[in-house]
Amino acid sequence: MKDPQYEQLRELNWRRKLTPAEQAQLNAFLAAHPEALADWEAENSLTEALNGLAEVPVASNFTARAVAAARLAQAQGDREAGNGRVVRPWWLRWLPKAALATVVLAAGLLSYSHLQQTHRAEVIRSLATVSEVPSIPNPDILRDFDTIAAMSVTPPADEELLKVMQ
Amino acid sequence: MMSDELDPDAALMLRVKQGDWDAFTSLVDKYKQPVMNLVYRMLRDASEAEDISQAVFVQVFKSAHRYEIASRFSTWLFTIARNLSLNEIRRRSRHPADSLDATRPEHDDQPAQQYEDRRDLSPPDRVLHGELEEKIEQALAELPENQRTAILLCRGDEMSYEEIAKVLGVSLSATKSLIHRGRETLKQKLKPYLRSGSWSEHK
Repeated sequence: MKDPQYEQLRELNWRRKLTPAEQAQLNAFLAAHPEALADWEAENSLTEALNGLAEVPVASNFTARAVAAARLAQAQGDREAGNGRVVRPWWLRWLPKAALATVVLAAGLLSYSHLQQTHRAEVIRSLATVSEVPSIPNPDILRDFDTIAAMSVTPPADEELLKVMQ
Repeated sequence: MMSDELDPDAALMLRVKQGDWDAFTSLVDKYKQPVMNLVYRMLRDASEAEDISQAVFVQVFKSAHRYEIASRFSTWLFTIARNLSLNEIRRRSRHPADSLDATRPEHDDQPAQQYEDRRDLSPPDRVLHGELEEKIEQALAELPENQRTAILLCRGDEMSYEEIAKVLGVSLSATKSLIHRGRETLKQKLKPYLRSGSWSEHK
């Protein structure tokens, strides 16, 4: 039965008897949903059975033994403290581990920072190198390159003419 | 906050924190029965249940400095009881030969009924009189531990669902779900007895 009202009444009934008002709500619900009656009776019966579970017998000297055991535990704790063993508070036990963790973290951060700086320096050097390269000339200048190049080529000397002129 | 406005158990624990043995004795007297009821039904061994229940109160004393008034003492107490019982169940599963008297189920949700009279004051024979009581005890023992514990803590109006959830370490909705599922299983297993109303007839 998935009705929220029924579920709520059931959860209440698990732990205690329903109040008169709650019982009236239940009666109204069961009148409207007679199919839920069998389940409710089973629930009630189970609750009664669980509440009727027998108490486990407890030894008559249970309390005395528990107190004696606690006193013994206290005495043992006092002896350990008196033997020079320092009973450290819990936070002191964690201090060395916390310190180690801090050192490791700091070393990691320093390494990362150094790596970043090195990388940055390399990038700067790269940029400087690039900035020294002359800029590529305007392509228009090179348009007449072939013509100019051809003009600068001088023909070879006419040897025969030179001989005749001498 | 004045100590007389505190929950009575919290007031006693404040005194235990200061080494008051009378306060500690009062708490043991008040809670030894409910602790034994829970621990026995988790371990299904009377002798071990008594040892573990003793250990629960020793742990309460040793951990008194960690107790916070904001939480109810019973919630804290039953959390310790459950944890120590679970530790014992795990220890059993790792060292099954340790005890020759108890049966050793592989899983903590299997029944391990202990009826041997190991002491003059053996609980099982007194507890489990009658077939019907035996049936419900067996059905409870067959439930998964978390469902069984949830149902046992839910009995009576002692603990709220929120407090039961804290003991189990789960959410409120998960707690109600555990109780619901456990009860459905119990209803199925005990159907012949529940339907016929045999509980009422035999009580």
